[in-house]
Amino acid sequence: MRREGSAFQGVGAVFVKELSDNISSVRMLMLELLIVLTAMAALYEAITALRQNTAEDPFLLLRLFTVSQAPLPSFVAILGFLIPLMAIGLGFDLINSEHNRRTLSRILAQPIYRDALLLGKYLAGLATITISLTALWLLVIGLGLIFLGVPPGGEEIARSLAFLVIAVFYAGVWLSLAMLLSIVFRSPATAALVALGIWLFLTVLWPMLAPAIAQAIVPPDPRFAALGLDTPGTAIWTQLLQRFSPNDLFGEAMLAVLSPTTRTLGPVFLDQIRGAVMGAPLPFGQSVMIAWPQTVGLIACTIVLFVAGYVLFQRQEVRA
Amino acid sequence: MRALDVARLVVAFGLAVPLAIPSAHAAEPPRDIKGLYLMTDYPAVTIRPGTTSNISLRLQNYDLGPQRYKLSVEGVPSGWTATLLGGGQPVAAAMPAPDSSVPLQLRLDVPANASLAEQTVTVKAEGQGSEATLPIVVALAKELPAKLTVTSKLPELRGSPKSNFEYTLTIKNDSGRSLIASFAAAAPQNFETSFTEAYGTQELSSIPIDAGQSKDIKLKVRPPSAIDAGHFPVKVTVNAEDASAQTEVALDVAGQPQLQLSGRDGLLSARAVAAEQSAIPVVVTNSGTAPADNIELAATAPSGWKVTFQPAKIERLVPGKDTEVQALVTPSDKSLAGDYQLAMRATSRGETASSQFRVTVSTSTVWGMAGAGVIGVALLLMLGAVARFGRR
Repeated sequence: MRREGSAFQGVGAVFVKELSDNISSVRMLMLELLIVLTAMAALYEAITALRQNTAEDPFLLLRLFTVSQAPLPSFVAILGFLIPLMAIGLGFDLINSEHNRRTLSRILAQPIYRDALLLGKYLAGLATITISLTALWLLVIGLGLIFLGVPPGGEEIARSLAFLVIAVFYAGVWLSLAMLLSIVFRSPATAALVALGIWLFLTVLWPMLAPAIAQAIVPPDPRFAALGLDTPGTAIWTQLLQRFSPNDLFGEAMLAVLSPTTRTLGPVFLDQIRGAVMGAPLPFGQSVMIAWPQTVGLIACTIVLFVAGYVLFQRQEVRA
Repeated sequence: MRALDVARLVVAFGLAVPLAIPSAHAAEPPRDIKGLYLMTDYPAVTIRPGTTSNISLRLQNYDLGPQRYKLSVEGVPSGWTATLLGGGQPVAAAMPAPDSSVPLQLRLDVPANASLAEQTVTVKAEGQGSEATLPIVVALAKELPAKLTVTSKLPELRGSPKSNFEYTLTIKNDSGRSLIASFAAAAPQNFETSFTEAYGTQELSSIPIDAGQSKDIKLKVRPPSAIDAGHFPVKVTVNAEDASAQTEVALDVAGQPQLQLSGRDGLLSARAVAAEQSAIPVVVTNSGTAPADNIELAATAPSGWKVTFQPAKIERLVPGKDTEVQALVTPSDKSLAGDYQLAMRATSRGETASSQFRVTVSTSTVWGMAGAGVIGVALLLMLGAVARFGRR
């Protein structure tokens, strides 16, 4: 039966209810504690390193995000690893738990469309993650103010805001995926396992597999190897393949946005560097331009995965 | 003043005595001369009152046995002091070996208020059976001429404000004494002058010149670089004790163009978009003293860049004026976003000016639009799905 009226009728109610459920749930508390504690450890190490090594740096605040002190990776790298975990943890049982509790037909008996239910649940998940990431972002700036004592400049704030936006969309990709799986699989355990499997594959295995596949496509040239250089074809293929992983897209976008001296993310030819002034920071707009393709990839991936889930959900039998 | 004179005279005689001794030893005594002689090179001398003079003497023994000769000085005017010195100390007797001589010195202290009349001082050497006398006529003169001349071989040089003007000056000491000549140059304001040795780099302010000798020194004049063309005299004065000499050299400065290149308002940075032509205003200034003709503009750019100038050539630029040229810069389409160095040059017959510009390259926003398009397509997909699959 065709829908009458707006697809968004009832989105607000679902959104508010889901958000309050999310925020007050024990699962969310555990995930937040995990992220906050790990990120704080990385941040503390970064602050210690920066305080000991007081070189003049126009982007001191951004260094808080990117400085890594062994054995801990940098703040951004930890977020790149843990944001998917948080998104999967929020999303893996969005729909199938309603099925299992037999509450779905009861909800849909209310004047709420399926669109609104799905969108409301999704937006509530995304809002939960956005709230925690914003809190984390404010924490970084606050700790930077307290321990480094340098007020952040406008461009630093703009760049770290870009970081926040990209991180939210990065979470959106994984939330879309987890929601899609929660629609496909009736059992939450299966959905969670599959989601975690994909996450592990893309985060841990894919960076190792991509160079191997690239070398199979374009075998390395021994002449380049003799000079200690990467074969350009292999390098280009490796990068292309690695970009299938949202993790890599997030890492590249963060590199461009948080390290203002980054001038390109792809392989560089010598004649492109000739005459270039090295180490000069790029204007914010240009850094965003460099990170833009990666950001577009994340946003488009979020939307496409959501649409896939939407189509599947709309075609599903609700009555159990 | 008096002490200085004494010192100079001692120096002078110190030089003279070693010359006298070898000749005394080398001279073969002629066979037909026999006896004792008191000798001096110049038995009539002129002395300035108020100074001390040394007159070198020698007691020559030809073919006589060694004997003690008592020495004395007679006819010394009152107020004068006459002392006989041998080997640097007062002596009263001398003992020359056969066919050899003993050098002696007569030191005369003449008071400053001595009358200018001519005096005769007699030195006597008395032995047993033989004696020798030597009258020395001492004339007194208030002023002894200490004559100096200075000449320049090439007194007028021509060059640009950037060239070094070097004049070789010859200072001649025509007086009877060795002198220390000091020199000074009076040049127009802001001219740099320095004196050096003829073949050296050490700067000098004075130089000792022996009596009758001449020495070459070099005068270097550097005009200020921003000077107008013209004729500039430099007066050189040489001073030694009471003598002085003057000469005049001249600089004939021809004007020279001097170019400067910068952006408008001195700005050396510019913006450009990759693979798009943008115009950078470049100001060429002539801060020299002569007009610059045919100024050509060129640039050294990163590879793949195109730089042309509009106009490509400036016909004439008079001193003190500037003109603006547009540099049309097209960065390579493969340029990375960020800063690049771009060197621009203006050349006019040997005069060159260059500046480093920093060009901030932005990449084209076409791909940014394409990315927005991708997102738009994804949103359309969602709208389509909502419209197609929307149901109760």
